[in-house]
Amino acid sequence: MRRSFFAAIALCTLSFAAPAGAQGALSLQGLGYPAGGLSARAEGTGGGVADFDALSAVTPASLAGVGSPALFLQYSPEFRKVTTASGSATTTTARFPLIMGVLPMGQSWTLGLSTSTFLDRSSETTLERLQVVGGPTDTVTISEQNKVLGAIDDFRLALAWSTSPGFRIGVGGHVFAGSNRITFSQLFPDSAEFISSAQAGRISYAGFAASLGLEYHPVRAIGFAISGRKGGDLRAQSGDTAIGKAKLPDHYSGSVTFEGIPGVTLSARAAHDNWSTLSSLSFTGIKAFDSWDIGAGAEATGPRIMQRIITVRAGARFRTLPFGLNGEKVTERTFAAGFGAPLTRERASLDVAIQRAARTTGSDVKERGYILSVGLRVSP
Amino acid sequence: MKLSSILPRLLATAALFVSILSCSEKLDSTGVCAVLCPAIGGEVQNVTIDAVVIDTTVPSLSGLGTEPGLLLASRGDTLDARVVIRFDSLPATFIPTGDTARAIASVDSAYIQLRLDTTTIKGADSVTIEAYDVDTTANDTSTAAVLALFRPDRFISSQIFARAQLTDTVKYFISNAAVLARIQSRAALRVGLRAVSVGSTQMRFISTEGSFGPVMFFRATPDTATKPLTVSPFSKTPVGQSLLAANLTDYTVIAKAPPPAPPSILSVGGLPAHRVYILFNIPSNIIDSSTVIRATLLLNQLPNTGLDATDTVALLPQVVLAGRAVTDPAKAAQIIGGISTDTLKLKPGGSGVTNVELAKAFTLWRTQKPDTLPRAIVLRSTAEGNSPLELRFSSSEDIAALRPRLRISFTAKVPLGLP
Repeated sequence: MRRSFFAAIALCTLSFAAPAGAQGALSLQGLGYPAGGLSARAEGTGGGVADFDALSAVTPASLAGVGSPALFLQYSPEFRKVTTASGSATTTTARFPLIMGVLPMGQSWTLGLSTSTFLDRSSETTLERLQVVGGPTDTVTISEQNKVLGAIDDFRLALAWSTSPGFRIGVGGHVFAGSNRITFSQLFPDSAEFISSAQAGRISYAGFAASLGLEYHPVRAIGFAISGRKGGDLRAQSGDTAIGKAKLPDHYSGSVTFEGIPGVTLSARAAHDNWSTLSSLSFTGIKAFDSWDIGAGAEATGPRIMQRIITVRAGARFRTLPFGLNGEKVTERTFAAGFGAPLTRERASLDVAIQRAARTTGSDVKERGYILSVGLRVSP
Repeated sequence: MKLSSILPRLLATAALFVSILSCSEKLDSTGVCAVLCPAIGGEVQNVTIDAVVIDTTVPSLSGLGTEPGLLLASRGDTLDARVVIRFDSLPATFIPTGDTARAIASVDSAYIQLRLDTTTIKGADSVTIEAYDVDTTANDTSTAAVLALFRPDRFISSQIFARAQLTDTVKYFISNAAVLARIQSRAALRVGLRAVSVGSTQMRFISTEGSFGPVMFFRATPDTATKPLTVSPFSKTPVGQSLLAANLTDYTVIAKAPPPAPPSILSVGGLPAHRVYILFNIPSNIIDSSTVIRATLLLNQLPNTGLDATDTVALLPQVVLAGRAVTDPAKAAQIIGGISTDTLKLKPGGSGVTNVELAKAFTLWRTQKPDTLPRAIVLRSTAEGNSPLELRFSSSEDIAALRPRLRISFTAKVPLGLP
């Protein structure tokens, strides 16, 4: 009798285990939001120019077009508002999604080292719920605070080759690494009767991938680019214990650019990611969806200010986010605008983009975000 | 300046301004949690188990004179409690105003100032407090020897107090001659106080351990310009046991007490004071593998219709700190630590299920192995040794439905990590 009672308790203990999930926004489902490796310039064109942009970490081939050694740092805070039928939440997430160093080596070769945010899971939520604790009539409010900080980052070492502006090729090796620091607290109103608890955990990720990119300009006015990244294993570990393994999603993209109009560059890009391979990195069975990422934009020579030519940009982007809500896809539509300005005698440049993202799913949950990206390139 | 040159600057300035503002993150999405935040901690499981391994009533061995109060009571055939105050060190000289020290040759207006807890007064009748000389060479802790000295030939003095005179400070005037005799013979003055009343009477004075103990005042000269002498209680014996001697500067002697509870019943309080010791066997998978959020000891209170059945007793659960080496519950019950300042207010005459919250004990137990910190508690009265009130509870010898049980509420530990 006693043994069976203890067994029942053990069963309850296991049966009702619910893992800590970072939630609170459509874009933060699953392993988080794919901030992407797009530079502020590429974001300003809806991602259309990304495969031709040396400062975007999406294809190694574009590194060959950098021209001079460069350091690039980007800051992209997101101001997000999530609205549901029962309330809304306004958040600010500070991200440094892209840091890159590029070094031309001789006439033909260019080396690039970059880190970009792959999936950002930073979130904080507090859920209050009524529970019977103790006797049948003892109903109390439990306050569950869950905080997740951290991201998986993509560290890329890439090498590009080009002998003419018409053709560029590059290869890259990727290390995906990062961690999520998780704090979970259960708080009760009366410490004399109840025991509040706090748990802290850290989950670390490690994985590898390789990428290849080609860029071809048959004529000066038209260019094509394709790139692909083949994912290896991504392992999740808590302390010394392996808690999950998945394949890093394969990524393919193709782009076209048109510079036939003087002072104007039109570009479009389509990319596909096999995010579904990450489905196994979930305790609760959060579904990941393969997705298309389609964007187009224009870049044009703008006004001359203080002897500097300002470049203005605009674009739009549509994509499906990797992780769904309740089994349904979350889509993101983004409209972007921005500008770029050379600084200090062409030895530095500033790119600014503002994106308005609208994320929706099949439910009545709506999410609006403004992402301000400020990128600074310095050529030492 | 042209608009075309101002606009980009404004935009850049605005971008810089917004970037600075966004340096501090605000990640809290609580507002949408009703829809977008699944419950993480899981459902709360409430289980009630017979986890008691040992439950027994043990004496409170805190020691004679350690109580913060001095109980003086005369409750007919039920309770007779007396007070002993030792003035083992009396001054032999005094200094008149404007003069030099001289030997004390007279004593005037001698009184013992007692601080009274007026909330403890029982009885509306006037009360006579008699003082006896209880100085003896018998064993210091022998209450029988002391009680035997409350006899006519040891009588010192008496004073009648009307109920209205029993305020928070009581001046008990004592025989000047008795004080002078002890001073001149260099003997100790040990005063035993006994209450006599037509009806029932009971009160509690604050003891030296309660920080406002008795103090004796007297004048060594009729000249009122000379300040009265002050004598604090002091005990020279037992010799070589300064701690015990300090406790015995003032203490309560129980001459008669209500009958104790039967051995099969758990009792807390009373005179002499008792505690309840309870040792649990808590499934390790609850303490180690789950998150305990509430733990309640369910006790069945039995009515004690004896003394002051409707008065309130503050019951305090404390955790036993004695390790595995201490196997005697009576001894283990003396090595305890506080887990909460919250007390449970119960009436001795009450009955039914009583909940004793043990949340704080569990927070200690989950950090220590049972060998180091046994899963044991003590239930004691905050007025232990100072009050005759006694609470009674069913023990594990009672029928199953009335035995002490442990109700534990817990959730599964959350596997932090993957979503």
